[in-house]
Amino acid sequence: MMDTMLDLPTLWFLSARAMAVAGEDMPTVQEAATGLYAQAILGLTEEECVKAKDADHISNKTLIDCLAGVRALPKEQSEKLLTGVMMIAYTDRSMKPLEVRWASMLASAIEVTPDFFQRCCVNARIIASLLRPSGNSSEES
Amino acid sequence: MSKYETNFQFLERFDKRVARLAKQAEKYVHTDPDSCMFKLRLMVETMAKKLTALQMRGDISKDLGAMLGALERSGALPRRQADTMHAIRRDGNAAVHGSPTPVPTAMRRLSEAYKISGWFCKMMKRGTKIHLDAFDPPEPPAPIDQQTKRLHCKIDELEESIEQRRLATRESLLMFGPQEDVEEVTRRIIEELMALDNVAAAAGEPTIDADFVALVMAMDLEQIEEDPRHGGNSRKAKKEAEEQLDGIKKHLAERENEFLAERTFLLEQRNNA
Repeated sequence: MMDTMLDLPTLWFLSARAMAVAGEDMPTVQEAATGLYAQAILGLTEEECVKAKDADHISNKTLIDCLAGVRALPKEQSEKLLTGVMMIAYTDRSMKPLEVRWASMLASAIEVTPDFFQRCCVNARIIASLLRPSGNSSEES
Repeated sequence: MSKYETNFQFLERFDKRVARLAKQAEKYVHTDPDSCMFKLRLMVETMAKKLTALQMRGDISKDLGAMLGALERSGALPRRQADTMHAIRRDGNAAVHGSPTPVPTAMRRLSEAYKISGWFCKMMKRGTKIHLDAFDPPEPPAPIDQQTKRLHCKIDELEESIEQRRLATRESLLMFGPQEDVEEVTRRIIEELMALDNVAAAAGEPTIDADFVALVMAMDLEQIEEDPRHGGNSRKAKKEAEEQLDGIKKHLAERENEFLAERTFLLEQRNNA
């Protein structure tokens, strides 16, 4: 039977990595942004993030499980998750067909309105802009 | 190891400047650990510049942190080596800014620098085979008293726990767990995404469809490109976003056509039966 009771950390890593993979290249900035967003915005702990990525735990979960799980999340959490996933999509400043498809699947599963989806995207775009994926950054020497 | 020997002789064949810095760091590790860290940091910076010149194109920042970040993002610098180089950079910066370096910390970084030196040589001359013996810690110039030995043990334990803590934080931040086969997971996700793409091409998405998502994303990408931090001008940003949107529209139309062709084929099969 399909497991619709996946927890938030597992759902986050499933949906985030699906978006990163859909973007074809997987820059390090996307990798790091995934964990930062999980801890800073979704409020997950380091331990929860590590446990969610345990191979035995996550390897048998499919994207259909993910869509069903996201649908069952409280609205506030699912909306934050969608914003984070869109942030991952924007970090490489390009749009690929499977990214578009995954975003539309997630947004439909959460049942957000077009207006709300646009708001999520604006927030995601602002966060993605801050990540400066071009590499011309002024990181600490 | 006697005071006349060095762990870094092998480096001479590959890069004389890096070899000299490594040997100087080795020489200072007991007598002046701060200077050891300066030399190690400079050694890492020299390595990063050489790797950047060899592997990267375009205008790369001269800042060491940014340089390492760019090398890592490009895939030229593996995670383990990047961690080591960042650790040397951090401790080197701390020493430059007046934070005293304990001997065990400098020794730990020296030993790590030895390990990445072997990797660096392979990067500089592809196909080179390097056999590195175990790192031989330089002996102190004079015997160490028991009290100092105890202190060194405590500092070593602290360094180890900091190392473990950093590793745990890093693992928690990454997209994949250390035990996961990233290639296999990626392949599976792509298969699933393509299957979902097929289903959606046939049935559509119930609330937010792909055309709408593509339009919103194109508008956002234009805004991101226009952001002064990325230095894009409005006309170029708009053109790039439009090109990306056209690409997606073309893909969606093709998917629809494929679906229609498949349906027509099935109908023809049935009619012919």
